[in-house]
Amino acid sequence: MSDGQFDSYIEAVKKECPDADSETIAAAFLKYQDDFKIPPQDSMRSIIRSLNSSKSVPSARSGGSSSSSSSQPKATKKVERLNELKADDKEIEIEVEIISHNMREQTIRGEQKQIAFGLLEDNPWAENGDKNRWDYKDWAPSPNLAPGSIVRLEGVSVNEYQGKMSLNINQSSRVVVIREGTRTVVAPGEAQDIASLPTDGYVCVVGRVLSSREDQIHKKDGSGSIDIVRGRLADESGIIGFLSWEPFGHEVGTLIKIDGAQIRTFRDTPELNFGRTTKVELFHDKNFSDAETLSKQTVLTVSELRDGARDVDTVVQITEWSKRTFTKDGVEKYLWSGAIADPTGRCRMSAWEDLPIDVDSLPLTVRLKGVRVRAWQGIPDITVDTADQVEILDESPWDDDIDFSTHTVEVGLNELATGASRVGVTTEAIVVSVREDSGFIQRCTECRRVLRDGHCATHDANDGEADVRMRLVIDDGLASMSLLINKEGSLGLLAMTEEELSSEINSNGQLDFVQTLRSKMLGRNIRASGRTIVDEQGGMMLADSAEIIEEDAEMKATEIRAQWGVN
Amino acid sequence: MGGELMQAGPRAKRQPAWHMLASEFRDATLNEKGSGEFDPSFVITKLGAKVNRVIVAGLLERLEVRETANGSTLYQGQLRDPSGQHYFSVGDYASEAMRELTTTLIARIEVGEPELVLMVAKARWYQTEEGAVYTSLRPEEACIIDGKTYANWITRACQGTIERMNAFSASLDLEPTEQAYSASESIPANLVEGLVTSRNHYGEIDLEQYKLNIMQALDIAEGKMSSATKPVPVAIVSASEEGDDTAEGSDLEECILSLIRQLDQGDGVDFEAVLSNANARGFSRPDSEAMLDELSEKGIVHEPKFGWFKIVE
Repeated sequence: MSDGQFDSYIEAVKKECPDADSETIAAAFLKYQDDFKIPPQDSMRSIIRSLNSSKSVPSARSGGSSSSSSSQPKATKKVERLNELKADDKEIEIEVEIISHNMREQTIRGEQKQIAFGLLEDNPWAENGDKNRWDYKDWAPSPNLAPGSIVRLEGVSVNEYQGKMSLNINQSSRVVVIREGTRTVVAPGEAQDIASLPTDGYVCVVGRVLSSREDQIHKKDGSGSIDIVRGRLADESGIIGFLSWEPFGHEVGTLIKIDGAQIRTFRDTPELNFGRTTKVELFHDKNFSDAETLSKQTVLTVSELRDGARDVDTVVQITEWSKRTFTKDGVEKYLWSGAIADPTGRCRMSAWEDLPIDVDSLPLTVRLKGVRVRAWQGIPDITVDTADQVEILDESPWDDDIDFSTHTVEVGLNELATGASRVGVTTEAIVVSVREDSGFIQRCTECRRVLRDGHCATHDANDGEADVRMRLVIDDGLASMSLLINKEGSLGLLAMTEEELSSEINSNGQLDFVQTLRSKMLGRNIRASGRTIVDEQGGMMLADSAEIIEEDAEMKATEIRAQWGVN
Repeated sequence: MGGELMQAGPRAKRQPAWHMLASEFRDATLNEKGSGEFDPSFVITKLGAKVNRVIVAGLLERLEVRETANGSTLYQGQLRDPSGQHYFSVGDYASEAMRELTTTLIARIEVGEPELVLMVAKARWYQTEEGAVYTSLRPEEACIIDGKTYANWITRACQGTIERMNAFSASLDLEPTEQAYSASESIPANLVEGLVTSRNHYGEIDLEQYKLNIMQALDIAEGKMSSATKPVPVAIVSASEEGDDTAEGSDLEECILSLIRQLDQGDGVDFEAVLSNANARGFSRPDSEAMLDELSEKGIVHEPKFGWFKIVE
């Protein structure tokens, strides 16, 4: 049966195990090869071992060398807190978080030099707790310093000037990034595209003013108000809102260069802040697009809507629309709300005024102008404040046959995990974990939260309602996300009815059930559809359907070989 | 159950899993650990993967229980894929399901029943007194798989390795800095950091072995088992026949084998003892270390536990 293909291997095995017969050995090699895809050179050891399995390996002594950390002696003063430092300390090692980072040119001994300066903070790993901030100067600007990053500074020294202490990072100092910051350092005067701006820090931007209006901020303590200017600025890559704390006289359409503007992020929407140290000057570039062209970019797709965005223009289809009344402070009020969609996804919309929408003629395509976006449980919700922000279109700019109530958009997991929350998305990734609480759960009868030991965090003990869900972790090699599949999706994925599932778990036990799931899913490609919620804790997909993708390894291997081009 | 809550410390984001062949993981000698309590630690491979977690698969080649000094139980095992083997351990810290699976697998291996196993595991490493670094795995979740799932895993591991090799090759023409690598279109963003570290640490590396591993692994995934079959390693034969070895390494080989034979009192001989004794006989430590690797690969000596060597009987 083996056609002699394993002969030389059988010989080799027989040298080790003279008592074994050739047929048995050949059958073993064949089994490894055909059932397990293990070639003979790799299965030989296992075969020898199993034939010799009576000779057991002596049990080794316990112990084993503990990993020894090699620390070389050095005259370093290693501290955790800034207040442990004295004015004449040198060669200090400390871990800090970089709070701000700015560049400036300075003439030192007749030579123009760039130096970086800003604020840093000690105790970077404590979530809250007490932290001290010091100024620092980096005399040979390290590319590793970025706001939000946590770094270990080695070989830095204290500088005391008029009783105020700061840290000097010198030419010979070492900066080790322990946690990446949110932006890379850009030299001053080098403009960045608006679309690629970081979410905080100081930046330089060249853009055209699209809008500008005076506004006031009222101090919360009632002590008065501050005059500000709000507006929008655009380049060919995108549009960003700005807020100027200083007088801002540039008219709509003016092309300006802003250096040293600070980015602050309101909800999920970044905004440029112009302050005392911000340089705003006219900029000349004949090829820069005019305001009209640039303002077309304000048209956002559903996938681009971010919590906190203002002055948004968009074209969407309204698929559901209904009126809700409620009483606030004894006054009856109403609110319209419903579901909207475009080819990039689905979300919600609310309006505080009656809109010229006939509920019976839905779906309707509308153009929305200057609306704002809030997010509710991660789902963007467009707020329409006045009816004149809505224009009903005769036809939609996309294919009429798209059924938005079922339409989903393919999005890569990494994009989902790093982007905003989305509705109506489908993704594919590898299952890397099947959580032990997959299967039946009890939900609170009040709030549908999962009960722990029969208790709800807010509604205390209750009987609960049985539900089915699966909790997995999926991973595309770049990012991972929790995947929660609802009852319908779970039963579909398992190809089981609720009764079948219940009887399987009852007869085999929860642990065994989960282990069976792992055998079916771990390391396999899964495709799931639903919505996502992304916050600082990470991403989560709530799926209503999921399936394991069947793959053809032979074809894929041939394809990989062809693409690789090495033979 | 509460696992996720416990992990949700400050800024603890789950690290992605790399599909990786054993040879790349085994060759890694570099690690990185932030100083914060919740900082992940990484093993950095020669190809620039910054590995905290992997998905690996292969033939379960060995799995044994070890009683440790403090009375806890530690299972140690080896998982073989087409490129080599992974060492892994399952301790009391592992989940109940993982420990239960381990005992099931031990029973299978004792009766000589082969099993293919896939595991999602954390990368571990340790360094011996003389600085030799060993990588190993701590599986978080694992399951028994069939040949088809194994073949699919192989294709993914090959694809990942090829991507890393391509990025590595592209990096050779660039200054090993994050700026230069980030600007290159041939280097994916998730490899930039690891490649900079790798290039600065490992220096020149030879991709040939990885290429051979991939070619063989792809043969297996394509079902071309005869192309994936290598000739019987001569070493096995010569080890039992004693000495018609020709290579210049044969003196060193003989020296190491006789050392292990002499010093073995049942538990095997520890790494340090082998190296220092070989050194006393005029063989350099790096040479002896390489020879030990070679002998392990050929199956002449084995490592019943990490850093302890025995001659295969």
